Amino acid sequence: MAVKALYEYDYPAADRAEVFGDDQLVYVHWIGNPLFCSAAAVRVPKDMTWSAFVADVVTPWAQTDPDFDPSSITGWKLFDDDFAPADDASLTAAGVGHKSLVKFTVSN
Amino acid sequence: MTTAKTPRRAKKLPMKQRYSLLTRDLDWEPSYVEREELYPYTSYEGIKIHDWDGWEDPFRLTVDAYFKYQAEKDKRLYAVLDSFAQSQGHLSLSDASYLNAIKLFIQGVTPLEYQAHRHFAYLARYLEGPAPRFAALCQSVDELRHCQTQIHTISNYNKYYDWFHSFSQMHDRVWYLSVPKSLFDDAMTAGPFEFLISISFSFEYLLTNLLFVPFMSGASFNGDMPTMSFGFSAQSDESRHMTLGLEAIKFLLEQDEDNVPIIQEWVDKWFWRAYRMSALVAGMMDYMLPKPVMSWKEAFELYFEQQMLGGLFPDLEFYGIKPPRHVADAVAEKDKLSHEVYKILHNFSFAASFTTQTPTPEKMAWLSEQYGEAFDEFYAPTWEKHRRIEDEGGRVFFQGLPQLCQVCQVCQVPMAFTESDDPTKISFRTSEFKEETYHTCSDGCQWIFEREPEKYIQAWLPVHQILQGNCGGPTVPEVLDWYGVQEGDNGEYKGSRDHQSWLEWHGETTEKEA
Repeated sequence: MAVKALYEYDYPAADRAEVFGDDQLVYVHWIGNPLFCSAAAVRVPKDMTWSAFVADVVTPWAQTDPDFDPSSITGWKLFDDDFAPADDASLTAAGVGHKSLVKFTVSN
Repeated sequence: MTTAKTPRRAKKLPMKQRYSLLTRDLDWEPSYVEREELYPYTSYEGIKIHDWDGWEDPFRLTVDAYFKYQAEKDKRLYAVLDSFAQSQGHLSLSDASYLNAIKLFIQGVTPLEYQAHRHFAYLARYLEGPAPRFAALCQSVDELRHCQTQIHTISNYNKYYDWFHSFSQMHDRVWYLSVPKSLFDDAMTAGPFEFLISISFSFEYLLTNLLFVPFMSGASFNGDMPTMSFGFSAQSDESRHMTLGLEAIKFLLEQDEDNVPIIQEWVDKWFWRAYRMSALVAGMMDYMLPKPVMSWKEAFELYFEQQMLGGLFPDLEFYGIKPPRHVADAVAEKDKLSHEVYKILHNFSFAASFTTQTPTPEKMAWLSEQYGEAFDEFYAPTWEKHRRIEDEGGRVFFQGLPQLCQVCQVCQVPMAFTESDDPTKISFRTSEFKEETYHTCSDGCQWIFEREPEKYIQAWLPVHQILQGNCGGPTVPEVLDWYGVQEGDNGEYKGSRDHQSWLEWHGETTEKEA
C-alpha cells in the first residue's frame, strides 16, 4: 500500500548507499551475549578486508566484555546464513553490502 | 414624577443553549469559495463523513467556562510549587536518582505536549464540523498549558541538579528522544483523521494510563509533590482528551461502513507505535524509581489487558473493530520489556542526558519478586556480571564511536527486543525496498514499514545521522556537545555530581571518600 497524499509522494531514502560514498554501514551482532543490548552499527570502507574488519572493528567492540577472547569465535553468519569469507577478501567481495547484518558466536 | 424604567437584564441562558449559540451557531456555509477549498484535507484519506452534526461533544464547554476552570487549577498548582520551593522540598525526595525519570519526562514528553498543541490548532481550523473544531481548539490550549506548567514545575529542580537546560534541543537531536519525536512526526504528517486515531485514540485513550499514571504515581511515591500536582492539574483535561478520542473513533465508524477497514489499519498501526514508545516508560518504571509504584507487568495487565482488551474492545466489536493486529506480541513480552529497555539505557547513558546504575541489591530483590523466574534466569545474571566488573573498577558502556547500535527503522528504539518465544534471541526483521535493506525490531514495526515504505525510508535515524557526519563531528564529545549534553548530565549515577551533592546535603560521604 502506498502513502495516501494530496501530491506525488516520492522521496529518497535518508541512508541510501550513495550517501556513504566509498563506505557503508554494517551491523555486528554477538549472538547470545546479553551484556550488549543490541547489534553494533559501524561505518567501514567497502574495500576493507575481512580480516581487518574482524581485527580492527569487531574485536575492540567485543572487548567491552572483559571475557572476550578473539580466538574463541566459532562461526559467522551473514543475516541468517552461515558465512566463512576469505581473510583477504574485501567486504564487498565477501558479500557484505550496505546495511548487512553479520553475526558471530563464541565457544564458552 | 416618572422614572425611566430599568432595562430588564437578559436572563442567563442554560448551558446547553449557550454552548450551542457559541459554537454550532457560529458555523456557516461558505458562499465565496467551494467547501473543498475551505476544507482541503478531509477527503483524501478515504474517510467518508455524511453528517458532521452527528459529532456530539459531551463536555459542551464554552470559552469563558474553560478559562475559569483552568485559572483555578493553575492557582492551586502554583501554590504547591511555591511552597515546595520555599521549604526545600527537593531534599525530601526519595533519592536524587529519582530525577532521572523526570529528565526523561521533560525531554521526551513535554515537547510532545507542544507538538500536540500545534496540531490540534490545525485540526481546529480544518475539521469540517463545529463541534470537533471546538473540541480541538480546547485541546490545543490545554496542550500548551500542559507544556508550560511542566516546564515551570520541573525547572525548579534546575537550581540544584544538572540537566534541565537544553531539553527542547535535546528532543530534536538526542538518539533516545527520536523515539517519541518520530512518533509525533509520523502522526503530524498523516491526514487529520489518522492523527485523531493516532493521538486522540491510540495515544490518549488506549495507552494513556500506561504512559502517564506511572510518572504521576511515581512522583507521588518518591516525594515529588510538584510533578504530582501538575499531573492532577492536567487530569481533568486528559479525561476530556480521552473522551475526544473515543468520540472520534465512534463517530468515524458510525458515519460509513467503508471507514471501518481504514480505521482498523490505523488502530493496528498506532497501537504498536504507541506501545513501542511506552517501552521507555517500562524501563523507567521498573528501574529508575527508587521507590517503585507497581511493575510494568502489573500496570500492563491492569491498564491494558483488563481495561482495554477486556473492556473497550468488546464494545468496539459492535462496529466491526478487532483488537490491534500485533497485540499478542505485546502481551507475550510483558515479562521482559522493561529489562531489555533499561539495558539499552544502561549501555548508552554515556551518550544520554540522564544517568543510570546497575540495580542495587534491594532493587534486584524487588525485580525478582515481581518477575520471578523470568528475571532470575535471563536478566539477573547479566546484572551480576555488571556488578562484578564494577567491583573491579570498570563500568560497561557500549563502546563509543565508531561503534553505535543498530536502530529500528520504524520505532527508532535500538534493536534490543527479543523474539516473543525466546528471550535470548534478538528479533531481527529485514525488508527490501527499491534495492535498499531496512531493519525493523518486530513483526509490528515490519508490518508498519511495509505498509508505507515511502514514508519510513526518510526516517532520521540518530545513529545513521551520526555516522553520516551530521551531528557535530566524529567523536563522542563532539556529538554530546551538539546534543547540548554537558558534563554531569550523563553517564553513571554513582559518583555523579547529582549523587555527590545529594550525599553532601544529607550529611553523608561518597564511598570513594569514606
